[in-house]
Amino acid sequence: MTMTDLIASNVVAAPTPDRRRKLLQKLLRGERPYMLYIAFVILLVVFSLSSPWFLSVENFLNIGRQTTLVSIIAVGMTFVIVARQIDLSVASTLALSGMAAALAMSHINNSWIVGAVAGLGTGALVGLLNGLLTTQLSIPSFLVTLGTLSMARGLAMMVTNTKPVIITNETYFAIFGEGTFLGMPVPIAWTLAAMIAGILLLHYNVFGRRIYAVGGNPTAALYSGVNTKWVTTSAFVLTGVLAGLAALVLSARSHAARPDVVQGMELDVIAAVILGGCSLFGGRGYIMGTLFGSLIIGTLNNGLVLLGVSSPMQLVIKGAIIVAAVAFTKR
Amino acid sequence: MVDGITKSFGGVRALRAVNLEVRAGEVHALLGENGAGKSTLIKILSGVHAFDSGAIEIAGVPVAFDSPAKSREAGIAVVYQDLSLVESLSVGDNLMLGREPRTRFGFVRKRELMAQAGAFLAQLGIPLDTRATVGSLPFAYRQMTEIAKALMGEVRLLILDEPTSSLTSDEVRILFNAIGKVTRRGVGVIYVTHRLNEVFEISQRVTVLRDGANVGTFVTAETDMKRLVNAIVGTERLRSTPARAERRAARSLDSPPVLSLSSVSNDRLRAVDLSVLRGEIHGLAGLIGSGRTEILETIFGLRPVESGTIEIDGKRWLLKSPADAIGRGIALVPEDRHVQGLVLDHSIERNVTLSRLPYFSRWGWMQQRAANRRAETAIGKLAVKAQGASSLVRTLSGGNQQKVVFGKWNDPRPLVLMLDEPTVGVDVGAREEIYGVIRHAVSDGTGVLVVSSDLVELIELCDRISVIVSGRVARTLVRGEIDDAEELHHLLQMFQASSQDAFDTGVELPA
Repeated sequence: MTMTDLIASNVVAAPTPDRRRKLLQKLLRGERPYMLYIAFVILLVVFSLSSPWFLSVENFLNIGRQTTLVSIIAVGMTFVIVARQIDLSVASTLALSGMAAALAMSHINNSWIVGAVAGLGTGALVGLLNGLLTTQLSIPSFLVTLGTLSMARGLAMMVTNTKPVIITNETYFAIFGEGTFLGMPVPIAWTLAAMIAGILLLHYNVFGRRIYAVGGNPTAALYSGVNTKWVTTSAFVLTGVLAGLAALVLSARSHAARPDVVQGMELDVIAAVILGGCSLFGGRGYIMGTLFGSLIIGTLNNGLVLLGVSSPMQLVIKGAIIVAAVAFTKR
Repeated sequence: MVDGITKSFGGVRALRAVNLEVRAGEVHALLGENGAGKSTLIKILSGVHAFDSGAIEIAGVPVAFDSPAKSREAGIAVVYQDLSLVESLSVGDNLMLGREPRTRFGFVRKRELMAQAGAFLAQLGIPLDTRATVGSLPFAYRQMTEIAKALMGEVRLLILDEPTSSLTSDEVRILFNAIGKVTRRGVGVIYVTHRLNEVFEISQRVTVLRDGANVGTFVTAETDMKRLVNAIVGTERLRSTPARAERRAARSLDSPPVLSLSSVSNDRLRAVDLSVLRGEIHGLAGLIGSGRTEILETIFGLRPVESGTIEIDGKRWLLKSPADAIGRGIALVPEDRHVQGLVLDHSIERNVTLSRLPYFSRWGWMQQRAANRRAETAIGKLAVKAQGASSLVRTLSGGNQQKVVFGKWNDPRPLVLMLDEPTVGVDVGAREEIYGVIRHAVSDGTGVLVVSSDLVELIELCDRISVIVSGRVARTLVRGEIDDAEELHHLLQMFQASSQDAFDTGVELPA
């Protein structure tokens, strides 16, 4: 069961009684990603009942903004995990890309285009390095990206001797951080854009088919004529580019790039993807599920703060809920 | 020792009242085709399976095993094809694994361990260095380590399951010496093999199984290859084939070749010359490890061509990957459909379209409706028993899974369709259907190259059969030159034997 089928059954065709019964069966059997949607709704209800501030447009926009970075990168991580790989370097890649963007702007004409290209390009390069080391040298991506996690963070700190770089380009702020697009704050618009691109690419493009095949059975994919190395590398590059995009959003919001930002965020990203129904063993996953995974984590963070739970306790609760959710939805 | 053993799986009787008697100090060969019941019998003796009726006696005492440990206690040791050694440890460590001499505080007495292991090997007369790491040893020595390990403790019966299938002739020699030393200690040996020449070399008696029943037990010295082959293949099955063969005997061999190899060599192949004609079914016969699969893998771009050329439809190509090969019109139905052929957790539609994605997409975007339609068509045409195109492949039976693998290449027809053991693990009904699929492809002009260990199948299907021995084409037979499986089996054994002689003495192969 894939997003394709899901959308086909919900949108394209009018739900016949037969289809409706099938949907109900799926819900009852606890098949992913339906359980996830239900879990999300339960979470919303619980927090709405326990906090008067939770249920408001302002707060939901808040959640949206807070989850932007994780959501954007998680789209790429979905490709990587469906392809049976892992990328631990995303938070460091974000930091390095942000530094590259800010430095490029401060040195070349203060042009937002230069900044964007430098940021996305740096992300792509780190992704390419991850992909090539994994596929060409056959090093497990866990180890490759553990290495690049450290290297990218170190480089980000080295370039300015750990000092932040101030950004002054107003257009840059408007496009990536503070403007609005169709009434949405741009960070949320970028998240939606990344998601839609992800859905199209993973569920409606040949590339997505190949990603699933490589993750489902790499040998069979090779024997079916799939260039498995190229496909795997592309997934890493895509994730790197999206980490670069997240870096642009973050630096535009804070008017500066800092080398020490979002340490440990890779764990939130991976948790969102796994919570969203991806199998760590590859071959299974949905972008839509990933978005909800990310939203659940964001909502948890937000709601626990509103309830006045202490931040150490928040960590404990968040961790426990993630493990419980995965255990519950596991096949 | 074994008397009237019957074993059923589900409704299928895998063994029917099988008798086998092994004397102390005897090498007793066990022969039979794939699926004849050898493996089942071994698994019963080693305690993996229980038997339904009959009796097993060891030295006159009836025994029954409900676990491998019990079988082990009774003195039965099995050396399987896939070895069970820890490669990163030394020979001595492997032998003493789980029974290491220890100090009072639980530390291993390394020196004592090595001394014990060394003494044991010396007693067996096996020339192995106890300190050598198992992973660094040649295959034969690993196998001897395995045998030595199996012989640790009180062993009365040693079972060797195709021990030589991946050994070179020198290594076989070393192994046979070790077996000789084991039997001199009074241990009985059951020796399972497909290589008949080895039977004559090493065994005193032979038991042949067919379709789960005894065909007979022979004293090796009083029988010959012809009689054994006859017993293995069975006369009824032989007789049924020539009739079918004649029906299709008239195929001419003057079509143009769609695939031709000339002096193709690499690490496993030696100057392979081979051609597949348009609309021809060309079989590759040979024993396991002879290089049949490697020929297919080389054509499919999975192994590099070191010298020689591959021509497809008259043009020379250097194929570097399966994607290259598929692009030139080559298709492969691989040997292991679970590992190489299918993504088991994906739907039939995803599997069928994977190899032909460009046909179901425009500018890279999937045309899902076309893909679904194609999958439905394939299910219909190949008579795959499934609920629909979105059924997971994992839920299908072996035969239906194999049909899905065929479905990957059915439309458009490939120029060359390569099949590696296309009917292994497929029930009889589905097998006939698969033959139909192959013949249908051929009638559309596809050239088929098929590897099979089932000689009856080869004779039934093929226009030409090439015999592969040690990575080279020993001989190519045209339909009519040979018309029963017995003759073919005989030929294979002869080539195998003479190729081993050729290695030993440098004599040329018979042409």
